[in-house]
Amino acid sequence: MANLNLAIKEKRPLSRAEVTEKYPDIPPLVILKADVQRRGVHYSEAALGALDLELHATTGTHIFGARDGKIAARPESFLLRDGSSIITTPTPLELDPYLVDLHEGRPFLFEDGEPVEEVDYWPRPDFYDKTSSSGTLMQNVVSARPQRLNIFPYRYCTFWNNGNGCSFCDIVTQMKKGKEELGIPARLDPLEVKEVVREALLEPGRYAALFLTAGSNVAGKRAFDDEVDYYIEILQRVGELFSVPNIPSQLIGTAFDDGQLERLYRETPLTSYTADIEVLGEELFNRHCPGKAEYIGYKEWKRRLVRAVDIFGPGRVNTGLVAGVELTSPGGYKNEDEALARTLEEAEDLASQGVSTVYIVWSPRPGTAIGDQKNASLEYYVRLAAGLHGLRGKYRLPIGFDDYRRCGNHPDSDLSRLHNF
Amino acid sequence: MATAIPGDLIELLNDPAATKVLATVDEDGVPHLAVKQSLYVDVAGRLVYTELLESSRSNRNLVRSIWFGKSVSVIVSGAGGRSFQVKGKPVKTHISGPLFRKHYQEIRSLLGDVDVAAVWIIEPQEVIDGSYAARSAEERSRFPFFDHLDRLVKPAAPAA
Repeated sequence: MANLNLAIKEKRPLSRAEVTEKYPDIPPLVILKADVQRRGVHYSEAALGALDLELHATTGTHIFGARDGKIAARPESFLLRDGSSIITTPTPLELDPYLVDLHEGRPFLFEDGEPVEEVDYWPRPDFYDKTSSSGTLMQNVVSARPQRLNIFPYRYCTFWNNGNGCSFCDIVTQMKKGKEELGIPARLDPLEVKEVVREALLEPGRYAALFLTAGSNVAGKRAFDDEVDYYIEILQRVGELFSVPNIPSQLIGTAFDDGQLERLYRETPLTSYTADIEVLGEELFNRHCPGKAEYIGYKEWKRRLVRAVDIFGPGRVNTGLVAGVELTSPGGYKNEDEALARTLEEAEDLASQGVSTVYIVWSPRPGTAIGDQKNASLEYYVRLAAGLHGLRGKYRLPIGFDDYRRCGNHPDSDLSRLHNF
Repeated sequence: MATAIPGDLIELLNDPAATKVLATVDEDGVPHLAVKQSLYVDVAGRLVYTELLESSRSNRNLVRSIWFGKSVSVIVSGAGGRSFQVKGKPVKTHISGPLFRKHYQEIRSLLGDVDVAAVWIIEPQEVIDGSYAARSAEERSRFPFFDHLDRLVKPAAPAA
């Protein structure tokens, strides 16, 4: 308590131990997760030595890049004791990441030289080493989290065509690396996706959700028609594998118009929809997401999210934040209290209309416009998680399609495991 | 502090005919009890429980327990009135990986088309023999005033 009081008096950012003490209702494992996402990890040689390429999933098929800018065989991510994942990126040592090293022969997170928590590397899917009928390594067509199949249909975003990509995004850089260094197809063949998903589903109990995301594609008769058409084609082909018309699934796409949303819902087995607004507040949205602002705009983005609730149903629509960019310069909020208040105010406006908000911890990446700035304090991320979780409780919004198991990347939706709705 | 479950009690816990009840506690401190026949003791001496439903009260309470260091209890009752209680702490839940897959397949081969949400590992902290004979002997030894006197009366001499 003495350290906590001193920290508050000195107005310095609280350490993880101090945050844990100050917020006893937030599980320490969730606080740890947010901190590891915030600071990243560095793998010791011993930890990398414990990586078994036959048993563990390794990096390689991310749609976004690592903090240290490398593509190399490292653990894709890891599971904590409570079954949640920490999705994090290898980070240069000078940025003070957690160390992943061995303790009593097992991988552990270390902080200040002390073992903090045991972790398990993600298990390797059975299908990863097989090849599709076109000769492509299946792991380069579809990838996996511990309980989710990931389909990244293509790896570009046309907002970058006129330089209006999001300020924190490295999708184009990563696409080039993936294509050149790993041979990942820039655009997937829907029939090949179906072939790989069929193979993946042979593994018992492995997948509880199907997930699609790609960059925005403005092309088409109406803007984004081509993007929607392509998602529909993939979802329909994959849907042919199932005996039920709707499957546990999530699409993160652009904020589509009413007609496009109706088509996604009626013509595919899709059961949930996400359109990431990235940052709440119109000025910040315009600054950090100029492409989204140019084609859709902040107010219309929100309206489309609310409209999607009418189509997909309450508790089946959400939006994501890249939390921390709202505090960057220029144009960011002056302090974390203001950022939290304004963000939760906007999130409540959405929640009151049936739209959930989740966040990922912003991970500054090399080559992005704000990649040289720092993300927010741990306390900020914990307060934001509690705030967004509280809104879901207040408005009774289930988040089962984007929770610890079906996603694993949102400290706030991890907390929903205690909700009974 | 982990404790070891005696061999004969492990045998009872691993007996499919024994009745096993998992007791957890909700956010208001209200106990929730449910018969959980999937409970068994693994080679490391830990309790293993396969949860079928993600949304079950037991599962939510186990999540709360692993997050905040709370205890759970398992009661086992077998033939002849043998029963005992294990207090323990959930230390890990498997939602993917080899152990999860093994249990997923085993449960489905036993029960048919059921789902599995998680495989919980519970570390024993205390073992209490709950059978009447054991508890009665303990009480008489520790609490000599807790007896009805008529139970202590000399048996009447048989009539001549």
